[in-house]
Amino acid sequence: MVRRAAAAAGRALARVVPVVLGVVIAVFFLLRLVPGDPAAMILGERATPEALAALRAELGLDQPLWRQFSDFLWGVLTRFDTGDSLVSGVPTRELILAKAPISLGIVVFAVGLAVVIAVPLALAAALRKDGWADHVVRVLPAVFMGMPLFWIGLLLIIVFAVQLQWLPVGGVGSGPGEPLRSLVLPALAVALGLAPPLVRSLRAQLLEVLQSDFVTTLRAARIPERTIIWRHVVRGAALPALTLLSVNTAYLIGGTLVVEQVFGINGLGTLLFQSIGSRDFPVVQGIALACALLVVLVTGLAGAASAALDPRLRRAGSADPRRRAGAAR
Amino acid sequence: MTASRSPRRAALAVAALVAALALSACGGSAAPSTPSTDPVSGGTLTFGRVASANDLDLHQQITANNAFAIDKVFEPLVAFDEQGEIGPWLADYEVSDDGLEYVFTLRDGLQFSDGSDVVPEDVVFSLNRHLELGGPLPLEAPIASIEASGDREVTIALSGPYTPFLSELASFSNGILPADFGGASEEEFFERPIGTGPFAVSEWDPNGDLVFVKNTHYWQEGKPYLDSLVYRFVADDTQLRQQLQAGQIDAIDTVPATNAAEIGATGGTVLSETPGWSTEQVFFNTQREEFADVHVRRAIAQALDRDGITEATTFGTAEVANALLPPTITYSADDSVEALEYDPEAARAELAESAYPDGFEVTLLIASGNAQRAQIAQIVQESLAKIGITVEIEQLDIAVFRERFFAYDFDFMLNSGQSDAPDPNGFITFQADPEGFSKSYWTHYTNERVTELMHEGRTTPAGAGREAIYGEIQQILADEVPYIPLFFPANLKATSEAVQGFAVLPNGSVRFQDVWLSEGA
Repeated sequence: MVRRAAAAAGRALARVVPVVLGVVIAVFFLLRLVPGDPAAMILGERATPEALAALRAELGLDQPLWRQFSDFLWGVLTRFDTGDSLVSGVPTRELILAKAPISLGIVVFAVGLAVVIAVPLALAAALRKDGWADHVVRVLPAVFMGMPLFWIGLLLIIVFAVQLQWLPVGGVGSGPGEPLRSLVLPALAVALGLAPPLVRSLRAQLLEVLQSDFVTTLRAARIPERTIIWRHVVRGAALPALTLLSVNTAYLIGGTLVVEQVFGINGLGTLLFQSIGSRDFPVVQGIALACALLVVLVTGLAGAASAALDPRLRRAGSADPRRRAGAAR
Repeated sequence: MTASRSPRRAALAVAALVAALALSACGGSAAPSTPSTDPVSGGTLTFGRVASANDLDLHQQITANNAFAIDKVFEPLVAFDEQGEIGPWLADYEVSDDGLEYVFTLRDGLQFSDGSDVVPEDVVFSLNRHLELGGPLPLEAPIASIEASGDREVTIALSGPYTPFLSELASFSNGILPADFGGASEEEFFERPIGTGPFAVSEWDPNGDLVFVKNTHYWQEGKPYLDSLVYRFVADDTQLRQQLQAGQIDAIDTVPATNAAEIGATGGTVLSETPGWSTEQVFFNTQREEFADVHVRRAIAQALDRDGITEATTFGTAEVANALLPPTITYSADDSVEALEYDPEAARAELAESAYPDGFEVTLLIASGNAQRAQIAQIVQESLAKIGITVEIEQLDIAVFRERFFAYDFDFMLNSGQSDAPDPNGFITFQADPEGFSKSYWTHYTNERVTELMHEGRTTPAGAGREAIYGEIQQILADEVPYIPLFFPANLKATSEAVQGFAVLPNGSVRFQDVWLSEGA
């Protein structure tokens, strides 16, 4: 048992390390390919060449690229840090830890909202296939899927913050309950982007299960419809939905970063945009690395959760739950 | 081309009409609100800004995001007011007849925010550190010595006459800090700096908000009125405006010209529109052979309708520029210089005299993220097409934009010149000194007469003689057009109605010691 767990952990690590290393290398060199001098960004247009040269030396930007890369890699391996911010001098790890709770708050909140939105809609559509609810559910997500996230965010601001004044237009307020209230609209914006594919997939899964032989058998056995739906159909469709959510982690993180900008929330997204603009290499690298780790972690966890929920996956020796769709047939 | 002519004129006319209406609509609120009752003490003001303050070292920083936080903490010996007039601030002063010796007498009972006394040694330490570091906004005056010459006296001797000295000294970067950083290390000191300013730093996230508290030892009796001041970081300017309108923040640092009318017309918000120290310009790289030809530059100047551009892109918030120096700067020649006027016929004739009578192709470089400049670029493109010059617009993000023009890798560009002081020397030197590091603002423009006058301007005592010098410089620049001054943008800020005494300096900073919140705020 222990050996099997160790082997599984080893396999997981073998997948994670190349991914993370790839991200680290790609981000480092891609950033260096982009023109734009951090020293000039910090000092502005009226900085003398002497001041610029002095600052470049202080920031280590006058070092050869291989030297910068080896220092960077050494820092990541030994200190779990991509270096001090070129602009503020604060270690990147501290910056990320300070801003992460807000961004993760939006992510978690958005997932919750997406589930709350998607499950009832998918159920309503699947149970009355080709009924009016089904038509609405098939059309409405298409509308939201065509809209860029920042646009959804702006609409939410105009309606709920500016017109109705129910919620703050942006920022993260202080005081009891305020931060939570401030995160409702940004999380909703992300959730509205995430919910459509979730509804579609869930509806398809539900229909598939509803039409399967074992539901027919259960119905023939006069098991109450309510029990069939909640105990068998919904549970059967939950697993693919979980997978879909984990596959969408990257979208979710990206969406959160965009939405932060629209709502004036000073989280990781804003820090990232700022840092790209000022060519603050260590911070951009740090955030990219953190996001990559998060995506790898979430997909890994989702795989593990699927395996735990569905014994067939364990037997098949595959952690890829996408294969389950085929297995279910 | 004729087909596109009338819509463009029509668009300009419509824009002018809109601007005129907007201007008349917000005419009443253009000036900052004047207190109708006595100031009330207390309260917190939240000031929304699009960039965080990430460094408070007054000798190393120059960008507005940091400078306008630094000047709340540190103050110089002399300072300028909203009109740009220089007067005593931390010290009174006397100048010797030959203009070589300045004796500064510190205010009686002057204290730092930690309650310790300000002594002449603090002044000596502060100015010497700045001299040693140089930094992005250095003391250029030929300073021979800085000495503590009494209990409250500091004497600064110059090795030669230098008229802009007081103006230079009035910069925020010549603020006074405790000698030897009050015993702290340099790094520690600038994390929690101590100065004589109206506010002291209380909480600071270099990538986010900055919270100031009132300096209870401030030398201006009863000021500041506010208990605390919060610089709230809101990266997006749309969000910034909406938070002000929703009452989440009390004042905002920047209002795009497009939104000025809306802010002024919306209930609960007040637009603050004050003259600034910057000039929006078209800059030519005179190292490019086309732009080395003065006829080409003159032709372009005559092909551009500056009035139309100003109206269409600034919505009546800016003043059309005739000369290089904004009217708020001493010896601005805006009303006396004869600039080349909009005249497409004359432009074609001028181009015919150049080596490129049939026109040529060039690239206009602009920074992205600035809607106004993108608009100006399009007008330039259309205007120049009419005289046969094909313009390609290249829009780059600010970091790359800077790298390109720092390397003289551009044909012509849109940018602005900005002064830190009311004296013309800084602005002129930066834009017309071929020996300076910016090589005439990266235009590489060289004119011996201008260089000679520029040197004279620094040593000629204030008065008619000096005025004539800067007048002549500006006239030469207007004739040879290494850059085309388009307009002088105003400082556009906005507050909620509760904010009183909001005084904006011409460099764009706000004097928060004078600000108070009226009842019901």
